[in-house]
Amino acid sequence: MALLSISEPGESKPTVHAIRKRAVGIDLGTTNSLVATADAGKVQTLCDHKGHCLVPSVVHYSNDGTVMVGDKAVEKGSSDSRNSISSVKRLMGRGFNDVDYDLAYEITENADGGMPIIETSAGSKNPVEVSAEILKVLANRGEEELGGELDGAVITVPAYFDESQRQATKDAARLAGIKVLRLLSEPTAAAVAYGLDRKQEETVIIYDLGGGTFDVSLMRLEQGIFRVLATGGDTALGGDDFDRAIINWIISESGLDEKLSYDRRNAITAVARDAKHALSLDEKTEVSFENWSATLTRDTFNNLIDQLVESTIKACRRVMRDARMDISAITDVVMVGGSTRMPRVRERVAEFFQAEVHTEIDPDQVVAVGAALQADVLAGNKYGDEVLLLDVIPLSLGIETMGGLIEKIIPRNTTIPVSRAQQFTTYKDGQTVMSLHVLQGERELISDCRSLAKFELKGIPPMVAGAAIIEVTFQVDADGLMEVQARELSTGVASSVVIKPSYGLEDKDIEKMITDSFTSAAADKDARALQENRVEAERIIEALENALVEDGNELLDDNEIELLNEGITKLREMITKQDADAIRTGAEALNKASLVFAGRRMDSQIKSALKGHTIEEYD
Amino acid sequence: MSLTNRNYFEFFSLPKSFQVDADTLEREYKKLQTEYHPDKFADASDSERVQVLQHASLINDAYDTVKSPLKRAAYLLRLENIDPEEHNQSHLQEAFLLKQIELREDLEMLTAKKDLDGLEKMKGSVTSDRNTMLQNFEVCYLASELIEAKSLYNSLQFLFKLVDEIEAAEEKLLDY
Repeated sequence: MALLSISEPGESKPTVHAIRKRAVGIDLGTTNSLVATADAGKVQTLCDHKGHCLVPSVVHYSNDGTVMVGDKAVEKGSSDSRNSISSVKRLMGRGFNDVDYDLAYEITENADGGMPIIETSAGSKNPVEVSAEILKVLANRGEEELGGELDGAVITVPAYFDESQRQATKDAARLAGIKVLRLLSEPTAAAVAYGLDRKQEETVIIYDLGGGTFDVSLMRLEQGIFRVLATGGDTALGGDDFDRAIINWIISESGLDEKLSYDRRNAITAVARDAKHALSLDEKTEVSFENWSATLTRDTFNNLIDQLVESTIKACRRVMRDARMDISAITDVVMVGGSTRMPRVRERVAEFFQAEVHTEIDPDQVVAVGAALQADVLAGNKYGDEVLLLDVIPLSLGIETMGGLIEKIIPRNTTIPVSRAQQFTTYKDGQTVMSLHVLQGERELISDCRSLAKFELKGIPPMVAGAAIIEVTFQVDADGLMEVQARELSTGVASSVVIKPSYGLEDKDIEKMITDSFTSAAADKDARALQENRVEAERIIEALENALVEDGNELLDDNEIELLNEGITKLREMITKQDADAIRTGAEALNKASLVFAGRRMDSQIKSALKGHTIEEYD
Repeated sequence: MSLTNRNYFEFFSLPKSFQVDADTLEREYKKLQTEYHPDKFADASDSERVQVLQHASLINDAYDTVKSPLKRAAYLLRLENIDPEEHNQSHLQEAFLLKQIELREDLEMLTAKKDLDGLEKMKGSVTSDRNTMLQNFEVCYLASELIEAKSLYNSLQFLFKLVDEIEAAEEKLLDY
């Protein structure tokens, strides 16, 4: 479909979906991941044959090239931690120098860029490839459940993820062969799961205490716009710390030597975790380790963990202060993450915020549930009221100027999608190349912000210094991803933009990884490409022909119509032949040729929409 | 007819004016977003998505411009073919320049003394000046005294920035 099919304003779209689209929501977590699917507002989380829904975000690479994901990779990890990659989310879109914490596996710095590379016995792997392995397993689960190839997925990312981290996530999806309908922020997904997006005005706290990280987000819903007002937390606080509190108690009560062997340490951790889980349901539990045993009451446990809980409350207080908002403004609190099952955590959060605390949906699943609901809507499976989630850019986008300073182009909390143009000029006679350094962050100095990419503008027409005016347009899409375009204004010449991401993969790298993974099945791939390109070409022709019948005479002159008709005839010819590339090129050309027409159709539609409004208002 | 040829007020069924009916703006913005947000075209082809992305960005920019009094003022001047960013010193600006220096010194002093109450008081008085100046801008704009209106706009730019700076200073002091 090359042209927009736009309905009359006020009317619902006439599209009827005979076939249900296969869409899933994916929570790609640091510790665990999860996939869910929704049908008419009913959500199902997808589990393996053993009934395990959570997939540990761990990937194991064997010498022989076998890749294992999830529980199996965790098992392997106990004996072969060097080849078991956990918490890869923390490496996504980050530089080698950002890794200032210990990892159980070895990383090196990418030769031409700051990206960390994980050295496994199956070779070097980058974080995007590792994440793609997890995504593949989740997508497979979705395909098995829904009975066919997925039409798309909504993948969640933390609200504070910058452009590189979002891009890395989307690249991983592309590598896994998943079409991303939207990258959705995790707190937004959690709020959607509880239907808070359907209320009029809400100020919501999302309290997310996971296995290893704590995030708190303050969100404001107004006029259907979800805005993250402030975020905070601790990237090194989670369920593991609560386990450790019990382990320390066992050690001190039983008089064990603190220096435990690896196996005994694992065993005592399992005992502590079981005790923690038991105390979420019961007032007391028997704890036994080797020959020792004792009773642990919930009161004692609460004393052990009070300091940890208080530190999360402190982060909440800070977030409220950052947003300059009073506690009394909070209407709802949503609990996310397995650690929010602990009664003490729930009590303290309810006490602090004095608001309704939502725990009805399994806190391990709530983010995936929200993602699945949104995936269902975005894929086009409409049911009842439609919800629109408008996101904001979490960190300001700017460019480097003289003296290591940043000029902000798009300030944080601007609603996306957004595009901003900025003009630059040449400083040398005959200059044809210009480079731009794009950064993200709130501080004034470039050294305090994150480098996103360096752009090189080429093909500037040679002129005297200061005469060429280059307009650079920064476009941020609904996923928070950026694109840059440049044009010389006096001549109208478009400059080509070469992007060099600071911590990510270039387009050609991803293309290569995708091709590499297909080389073994090259023939299959060719046949598939031919078929896909034919289908796409047919769709373009059909949409264009329909549009021509509808609006062609009104919006185009005879010459333009003839050109488009010629294009259609040419493409029809190509479809009958076997050359997949030629069909794709032909389809792209026709698509491009119809852009002007598509633009006019949309304008004429907006025009009539505006007309409609005016009558409504002033008649 | 291209979307860019239409003024931003028309997007929201609003008259071209410094006064904006906030309810109409919100309602019409939401209507347009509901129709043109990229999420509504998640399944469309790439070229369609590019078009929609551009339209949705334009709608967001129009909303930002009409909603913010400062951006709205600059936009109204542009519609009258006045470049609001062009720097020519008028008498009005010269007088205001002295005041600017004074206000900046005040801010520096209060920040150095960590005087939170003083900062809060200063914010109140600057905000009130700003509101008066916004009213003056409207009077000049309605009377088509555009050169005067432009001067006021440049002074407003300073006052808006100053309020941001006072708030940033307060934030820094609170961040113990």
